[in-house]
Amino acid sequence: MTPFPSRSHQWLSSSPLDIFTFLLLLLLTVFGNTVVADTYKEKLDLQPLPGQFLLASFNFQSHGPIEAFNKQMFQLFPRSLGQILQYTHTRELHLRFALGRWDSELWGAQPGNGQNAGGTGVETWAWVEADNEAEAEARWTALNNALSGLFCASLNFIDSTRTIRPVMSFKPTGDYSKKDKSRLFLLHGSLPKEPVCTENLTPFLKLLPCKGKSGISTLLDGHKLFDASFQSMSIDVRPICSPHTETCDIEIQQTIDMVLDISRSLQRKDSPVPRPRDQHELICDTSKPYASNEYCYPMDNSVDLPWSLSDLFGRTISGGCPLAINPPEKGDEAPHVCIHAPEKKLKTMQTLELAAPATSQGVQPDLNCYVLKENVPFDISFSKQQPPISPLRQEPLLYAERSFTGHGQEHGGVKTVLRNPDPVDSIGVVYLESLPWFMKPYLHTFKARVLSASDVREEDVILDLYYRPALDRKRGTQLEAKLIVPPNSVVILTYDFEKAVLRYTEYPPDANRGFDVASAIITIPAQRRNSNGGKIPATSIRTTSLLLSLPTPDFSMPYNVIIFTSTIMALAFGSIFNLLVRRFVAVDEVQRVDLKGKVRGLLGRLRKGKTE
Amino acid sequence: MALRVPVNLRKNLSVVLYAFQGLSILAVIVGIASLFLLPLDEYSRRTYISENALLPGQVHAYFGGSEQNIVRAFRREVDSLGNSTSDVVAERMAEIFRSAGLKVGKQRYSYKAAGGEYSGENVYAVLHAPRGDATEAIVLCAPWRNIDHLLNEGGVALTLALSRYFKRWSLWSKDIIFLISSDARAGPQAWVDAYHDLHGGDIQSLSVKSGAIQGVVVVDYPGAYHRFESLHVIYDGINGQLPNLDLINTAVQISRDQMGLRSELQEMWGHDDGYRHRLRTMLRGMVNQALGHSTGPHSSFIPYHIDAITLATHGDGGWHDEGSLGRTVESVFRSLNNLLEHFHQSFFFYLLMAPKRFVSIGTYLPAAMLLAVGLTLTAIRLWVDPRSRSGGEKKGEKKEEGVVVDGGPKRELFLPMSIVIGVHFCGAIPFAVFNSVDYKSMSSTFNIFVAASLVLPAIISILMTTTIPAHRLLPAFHLSRCFSLLFLGMFLSTLATLNFSLSFLIGLFSLPLMFARTTPDSIPLGLVNSILLLVTSPFAAVFAVAGYWGLGVEDILKEASFGWWVWGMWTPVVVWCVWWPAWVVGLISVDSGLVMGVLGRK
Repeated sequence: MTPFPSRSHQWLSSSPLDIFTFLLLLLLTVFGNTVVADTYKEKLDLQPLPGQFLLASFNFQSHGPIEAFNKQMFQLFPRSLGQILQYTHTRELHLRFALGRWDSELWGAQPGNGQNAGGTGVETWAWVEADNEAEAEARWTALNNALSGLFCASLNFIDSTRTIRPVMSFKPTGDYSKKDKSRLFLLHGSLPKEPVCTENLTPFLKLLPCKGKSGISTLLDGHKLFDASFQSMSIDVRPICSPHTETCDIEIQQTIDMVLDISRSLQRKDSPVPRPRDQHELICDTSKPYASNEYCYPMDNSVDLPWSLSDLFGRTISGGCPLAINPPEKGDEAPHVCIHAPEKKLKTMQTLELAAPATSQGVQPDLNCYVLKENVPFDISFSKQQPPISPLRQEPLLYAERSFTGHGQEHGGVKTVLRNPDPVDSIGVVYLESLPWFMKPYLHTFKARVLSASDVREEDVILDLYYRPALDRKRGTQLEAKLIVPPNSVVILTYDFEKAVLRYTEYPPDANRGFDVASAIITIPAQRRNSNGGKIPATSIRTTSLLLSLPTPDFSMPYNVIIFTSTIMALAFGSIFNLLVRRFVAVDEVQRVDLKGKVRGLLGRLRKGKTE
Repeated sequence: MALRVPVNLRKNLSVVLYAFQGLSILAVIVGIASLFLLPLDEYSRRTYISENALLPGQVHAYFGGSEQNIVRAFRREVDSLGNSTSDVVAERMAEIFRSAGLKVGKQRYSYKAAGGEYSGENVYAVLHAPRGDATEAIVLCAPWRNIDHLLNEGGVALTLALSRYFKRWSLWSKDIIFLISSDARAGPQAWVDAYHDLHGGDIQSLSVKSGAIQGVVVVDYPGAYHRFESLHVIYDGINGQLPNLDLINTAVQISRDQMGLRSELQEMWGHDDGYRHRLRTMLRGMVNQALGHSTGPHSSFIPYHIDAITLATHGDGGWHDEGSLGRTVESVFRSLNNLLEHFHQSFFFYLLMAPKRFVSIGTYLPAAMLLAVGLTLTAIRLWVDPRSRSGGEKKGEKKEEGVVVDGGPKRELFLPMSIVIGVHFCGAIPFAVFNSVDYKSMSSTFNIFVAASLVLPAIISILMTTTIPAHRLLPAFHLSRCFSLLFLGMFLSTLATLNFSLSFLIGLFSLPLMFARTTPDSIPLGLVNSILLLVTSPFAAVFAVAGYWGLGVEDILKEASFGWWVWGMWTPVVVWCVWWPAWVVGLISVDSGLVMGVLGRK
């Protein structure tokens, strides 16, 4: 089944203007030779990670000529997103949804050099074309509001207090002319508290040409994806120009990286609740002197569990996405599924009904690639392996960890530990921190401490500093620092901050939980190694987000105060008013009121009046 | 009419003085009596879960079955390490945690206090919450040796087994930290200090960290025999701070209602929920709170606004085993995991008198406040009293003439002020001495100090009575008592809002200061006063506490010194810098009366 009929149907049914563009497109495709069709690629990379984890990286990429995009002629580029980008003059968009944390100690470097990962929650940055800053800001707000509706995320909460303009950390990845570049404004916003869930996945899948109905995206089931130990979804839109032909393409790249805990996923298959295992299922160390039926010293990780894609994802890949399958006459078949694992481990792998293994790939012992066929389900499985084969692990360029120091409701501190594991080369790093306005750092306390064998002076670590102070309720703090992390050493960045007191209406729901502070973004620009001239690719690392506790009022207090003050006011006012208006006189001073006489006088006057 | 009353009263001051005296005595009596009313049903309340998110006991706990085989095996492992040094233990524990796939950290620490060194090595493991973002954490702690220095076999084994069991669940929203502290007193303190980067030089930083700690449960399950009768919930923190009542209620409700496991408080085994047992539980709680010391590893967390309790097993006979305790801990952790916010709903100031009965601060605070009010009223009476004026023999006439209305003879403030301020400054001496002296010389130092604080007031009063004219002497003592009582009253009422029990007990011991006056006319009365003061002196209190715990005085002082250096315990400051000076000022006045009586100066 191809998705085309449904797409064109959707076009026809949307609006008269769309019908017009559709007709125009038809005309162009019939008569014009200039229109190049969009191309679409998708790829799933699987990589077993240490500690019984599996990394699955999904990559969906489509290209189309930018002229067609500008004329609102969308083929594979999602129309909903394309119109938003055009309306808001966004030239390049990066959107990240992330959940969990990447455990670089265990799993090593992040896939794609961390370029596809964002901080916990939602993070977005874009280059918006505008004449001035105010216009850029207005367009940025419009962009976020529109994306918020599109992705069912609270992106509309990215207001001026959560927006920063990074100076050193982000560089555009698209190609622009010099003239264009001067009109581009970079804006960056993050929502660390946003819980990423299925309501964000569904619109994400809808942007794909095959919409999760066929191809590798069939594996993307919300239940499995959000049970992963780490998962990150990203969307990148950028223009790409080829220097030879001077034609530009617009590229949209969607990725999903997820790390599955194999043992937990397999156990879910048996029972949703991890009940204690049966006694005979336990793997016990029988060499212990006390080993018996009653005593069991567990032996973990002594075996590589058997798994298959259908075990982990709950389903097989239901054949390739027709749009991503090259017609056979074209020859060069891009593989759809690749698995990276040690050679020994790959030998234990079996494929189920398969698609021809890709042959065009260079023969690598630790890489197996497959090309999917339409409507042919695909699955791979690994058998049990004892003793376990340790998977490949790539040492990350830098380890980063950030935590709060101190306690109390008034002051606090932040400590970031950056560790360069390389024994020879120092590494240049840009550290970016975007803080909410109610967390006010003291810049004079911003210090770097170096723990290393070589004697590096501490003032040599921070090369450059960009600081944009916060304005209360208007904007947050932006702190960017260019650092050098010496080889085989640890740099500890610390600073102190003061906690502001909020107005009681400014607290979010569940105020006593605290406030999430967005992840610090550590960018390692592409650079050359000093020792051997090897290249270090541009890499990006996010720390975890932090939970800042602010002094939180008892929210029933306003009510108590109102009642209390009202009571006091009533009592005080009552008695004072009483004292003011009442005249105190002695009993004997009071004039007797002679009721009888008064009545008589009145009657007398009446009588007089009558006689007159 | 309204204007006439004060004039009359000023003419006849004794009415005011009697009224003040009566009021202050009444305040004290009502204050003490109200404390004894608290255990009654009318004044205490049943506990209830205030935080809806906790949902205690709403989930089924599965721990048991084959997991118990693992606990038993770990018990054997712990047993085999029983007498090893802490670094060997830490290495072995780290190995077990690592094999379960957790992030492991180790921390060496060393404290110096009372001439001794307290060192060890903590080991802990962090279970990353699947999908979690490292913003929040909960801690399961088992000290290697518990507060009574018993090997915590069951607790450590259970923690190791639970760390593996918890890892299989994917529902955790917070990281779980498993901490095996080297001991129950210094280890947790070193760990929690380092977690907040507030540790001293001899304590290692933590290599692995997680987010803000939301709750701590300590498992204390010592002994080789694994059956137990009931669960002892220990909750007192350093400086008498308490964890949120919701946490205790959760543990009590889960253990009682879900697991059928009786819970006990304050070592009151076999609580019958009658008046006497409630009162005793409450008073035991108050003693622990007043001492402000650590009652378990949980105590060190509470000053960081981290709610923590210890679950200790009690008794050998019962039918509960590691399965019941494991399920209880599992269920408590499921409840903690449900928390959306930091504990804030329920009470932080309360007195528990039965596992399900408590009084809140609004009900019990008046007791301590009334004692402080009694002291303050006495101080005001002393100020109003014409004897505070150095008028000599003429004061009687003046009173009748009503000249007092315009001020009368001046009060001489310099001498009494300097006595009170000087003595309060002297309070720093015992505080500094007892925090720096070795354990070995603690006892002799204390004896010397007791002798000094008995002899010194006597010497001061002899010096003063012999050098200062009598008509200035009596008002000086009068006013010094006034100032010291005023200060004490003010301090105790402030302290009552922070540490009710300490304030109440010091108030109770200070009651004789209200009546102990300078009596040059009657030597027997002076003797009675001085004996009363001696009985209620800070030293007597130290002896009483030593007797209560069955320890020597030097052990109590060592504990105080350890508390100051390790936990940041403020009780010694209150005793030596507030209570002791007030007592010395009282003793000076009484001694002077005796001296004047003996010397015949009136």
